[in-house]
Amino acid sequence: MASRLERLLNLTAALLTATRPLTREEIFERVPGYPADDVKGSARRAFERDKEALREMGIPLATEEILGSEPPQEGYRIPRDQYALRDPGLEPDELAALHLAAAAVRLEGLRGTEALWKLGGSVPRRSAIAAPPDEALAAIPTIPQLVPLFVAVGERRPVAFSYRGRRRSVDPHRLSFTRGRWYLDGHDHDRGAPRQFRLDRVDGEVELGPAGSYERPTGPTGHAPRPWEMGDEAPLEARVRIDADLAGWGVDHLGPEVVRERHADGSVEVVLTVTNREAFRSFVLGFLDHAEVLGPPELRDDLMGWLAALAG
Amino acid sequence: MARPSAPDRLRRLLALVPWVVAHDGPTLEEVCARFGLSQDELVAELDLVFLCGVHPFTPDSLIDVAVADGRVWIRYADYLERPLRLTPDEGLALVAAGTAVLTVPGADPDGPLARGLAKLAGVLGVDPAADLDVTLGTAPAGVLESLQEAVAAGRAVEIDYYTYGRDQRTRRMVDPHSVFAAEGQWYLEAWCHLAEAERRFRLDRIGSLSVLDRPAARPHPGAAPDEDALATATVEGPGRRVFDPRPDDPRVVLELEPRARWVAEQYPLEGLEELGGGRCRVVLVASERAWLERLLLRLGPSARVVEGAEGVASAAAARILAHYR
Repeated sequence: MASRLERLLNLTAALLTATRPLTREEIFERVPGYPADDVKGSARRAFERDKEALREMGIPLATEEILGSEPPQEGYRIPRDQYALRDPGLEPDELAALHLAAAAVRLEGLRGTEALWKLGGSVPRRSAIAAPPDEALAAIPTIPQLVPLFVAVGERRPVAFSYRGRRRSVDPHRLSFTRGRWYLDGHDHDRGAPRQFRLDRVDGEVELGPAGSYERPTGPTGHAPRPWEMGDEAPLEARVRIDADLAGWGVDHLGPEVVRERHADGSVEVVLTVTNREAFRSFVLGFLDHAEVLGPPELRDDLMGWLAALAG
Repeated sequence: MARPSAPDRLRRLLALVPWVVAHDGPTLEEVCARFGLSQDELVAELDLVFLCGVHPFTPDSLIDVAVADGRVWIRYADYLERPLRLTPDEGLALVAAGTAVLTVPGADPDGPLARGLAKLAGVLGVDPAADLDVTLGTAPAGVLESLQEAVAAGRAVEIDYYTYGRDQRTRRMVDPHSVFAAEGQWYLEAWCHLAEAERRFRLDRIGSLSVLDRPAARPHPGAAPDEDALATATVEGPGRRVFDPRPDDPRVVLELEPRARWVAEQYPLEGLEELGGGRCRVVLVASERAWLERLLLRLGPSARVVEGAEGVASAAAARILAHYR
């Protein structure tokens, strides 16, 4: 008797070459390896398992009603245009670079390196490409909602999900992984405004709407908003001096574009746009003695008042 | 190792067969290397493919596999001339990994990875620049590359390091062993000659670095504690826990208002007691005073110290306030 692998490969071949949907009985005739005696339904069960296995690996196995059948019968086929991977035309060095990247950065629970088989496998290392690191450079945690949201972003499908106990409907624009967490940026229909969602706070399944429901936003995709930029308060231009000890660290984190002045003693003065004073205060206090709010007076007084209340 | 399941083997065959079909007699060695098989495994898979085909399984409807002089040809498998499309999770894994590596300081924005990623994204219908952003961590320019080179060359380095938990800056010589990202940060694991122990350092807190003309000692077995005794999360990194409290680290007990509840989500807790109305009492490990000062200064009136940190917040607030006067 044929092995299961043989049966699965023959089943795939039969459904890919079918010019019309095949009924289950036709499949049993054309694909060897299904139990001949179906009295107890063992062939049916085997077929159900095979269908599930093929779908699980991403094969677009379609179920269609066979026209004119009486009583109506279901047929199966694999549309070749939906099955095949379009050739991205990767050059060997490009494939090798993707392979190195997938080996270095693993998304937990997702098949990165196996996906490369479909693109031509790993390039044998005779080219002048650096050896991959012995161990992964980074492992990125994933959550179950990530894949459907990635599909939704790419296909511009609106999504609905439960967020901290409330139903939200969102046009998803961008997924980002930063500071160890996944975030979704999008247009929140309930608020009528752009919002950012922390994906570890999404409960349950994500529902996807129809593809192409909105345009991909075109605006600048600059940096992810900082905590002190995520508020509705009237914007203030805060001036902060960071001393020499932490100036380098501060500029690395904030980006060189915020630097207004570099002083001879190694300190820097940076300018930040603040629409959330509480988050700004937290940010500055994180520097302890190494930062001082120079202005405007509203923000400087706010911080001094906060400290005075704590000092008692 | 367990033998792969039939679906896992099919997954590989549906990629391998199209690749061989598209190439004129590649060597068995190359096919093995590309698809992660030994020669024996490959021959077994080819023997099986040879038996497969479509109804009525006459010779011309079977897949034809020919092996000669260490090369392989596959014919009569037109329906398998293209590999199976990428699934969404495979697409995400590749695009995210590629995007992440491109954001690593020192990556070539026009190199083969960037070109390959753009082609792949085009097939998947995504725009990697607009749809996805993966930041493994921030590191000062040059530090990551220098450390990776030092690890590869087995050289010691001297770093100027800011210990966040103690609010202190020191110069130290270290023997670097590995560089990795976890929790949105880059880390270095190294033998620290100052501490005379294995330590873990955050790259964004390395002020300057020089690679020394001196060999690094081999890694010491055992986990490296974080130089910043208190990191900000407990979630596991790539097989490495970032923060490990010691039994003799001081504990503090705080009562938190609902708005300070994030503390209970953000930091490792040794105890949590609900007080009703969204308030809670937590026990935190606070081995470093500067860390505790930051936390209490930020929380202000929304946290009350019950035990273990009396006077810390008021002293810190008065000290910082002195800079303003």
